[in-house]
Amino acid sequence: MSEQITYPDVVALAVPMFIAAILIELAWIGIKHRGGRYETRDALTSLVMGAGNVASGIVLGFITWGVFMALWAITPLDLGTSLWVVLLCFVLDDLRYYWVHRFGHRIRWVWASHVNHHSSQHYNLTTALRQTWTGTFTFMMVVRAPLILLGFHPAMVLFVGGLNLIYQFWIHTEAIGRMPRWFEAVMNTPSHHRVHHGRNARYLDANYAGVFIIWDKLFGTYVPELDEEKPQYGIVHNLGTFNPLRVAFHEWIALFRDVLRPGLSLRQRLAYAFAPPGWSHDGSREMTPEIKARHLATHPEDRGTPGFD
Amino acid sequence: MPLEILGPMVLLGIVGIGVLLHLMGLSAPHHFACPDDARAAWDNAFPQHPARRATLCADNTAALIDTDAGPGLVWPMGADVAARLLAGAQIEAHGETLSIRLPDFTAPRIRLPLPQEDRATWRDILETPA
Repeated sequence: MSEQITYPDVVALAVPMFIAAILIELAWIGIKHRGGRYETRDALTSLVMGAGNVASGIVLGFITWGVFMALWAITPLDLGTSLWVVLLCFVLDDLRYYWVHRFGHRIRWVWASHVNHHSSQHYNLTTALRQTWTGTFTFMMVVRAPLILLGFHPAMVLFVGGLNLIYQFWIHTEAIGRMPRWFEAVMNTPSHHRVHHGRNARYLDANYAGVFIIWDKLFGTYVPELDEEKPQYGIVHNLGTFNPLRVAFHEWIALFRDVLRPGLSLRQRLAYAFAPPGWSHDGSREMTPEIKARHLATHPEDRGTPGFD
Repeated sequence: MPLEILGPMVLLGIVGIGVLLHLMGLSAPHHFACPDDARAAWDNAFPQHPARRATLCADNTAALIDTDAGPGLVWPMGADVAARLLAGAQIEAHGETLSIRLPDFTAPRIRLPLPQEDRATWRDILETPA
């Protein structure tokens, strides 16, 4: 069994490219006066969140690695390290990403970690780097377990996960309109991902793809970007702070405050932790279906159009 | 990549981009063009409690909003805005600044530059029951 396998830390190696691409996007916007917006504190918050994500990976990475190596020790399967195996691993890991990402929007426990990626009202390449510090605590690493049990080495699984993250960097931009039709049909693109970051009722809970948009088309979560409805970026109630600590932990604090409210049943406490974001025991908050229904009540002409099917 | 290289590169990248953005004039706060602009920003954030009236502060960066759920506030978050209902807010005046503390981890304290005459108007509105 291949135990001593190493792959490059592609995310760390990509850091110079991230910085260069941000400067190029900024220059493009400055010269063309279109293609996105930047704001100093917003961008700094995103960049600090990105640095914190790398730091949390260094500090907490041993937990994920330990779980993966324990799984590797018990599986009798070893697919080896050929290029075809790496490619297959990349595709299957992207399917894994789709589901983890979907859980990240539909299960509050996971949303508490992922929400910070959506907390900017801007959509530029720094937004791509606004990543979680608390991903380890969602325990979503278990969704990778089948890959390792199938015989993909843990180092390979983490390697393709890094490639997936790097792919997603460039799609966080308004500087690119649409890619060629064949590319838009198969791959996740800036247009598809702008929809995902939209807080418009139409665009909520759509386009979870990492690399291949086909997963959204396959599982019924695909919504195209409409020229007549530009995405508004951010979350339903946008943050009133740029403090990275508050950005990183605000939803965890809200979650635990709700779970520990006096007078709730066990079922209600569990629902505050694991039901979709916006669930409340007294119906005082809105989840995505209620937000969409309220929109349709005032805009009935949108019924049956993308995002309101 | 060794940490001795990655760390300084990340630090320099963050500081450099921050300085560049500031020098490009991208640190200016959002301004409302008129009360209707502030009302639209509020309605976008709280469509279930539409704005009945908006009172802009002197420099047009923030507005006090009258709603059926009590007073609310829209204020600049960089080039954009944030909005909150002001239930449970504690209001203090410090010189030319009105400080609003909210029981909200995502918007704990809002400082608004308000001249003396604006502060009195805002306090009156804030202390009027919905």
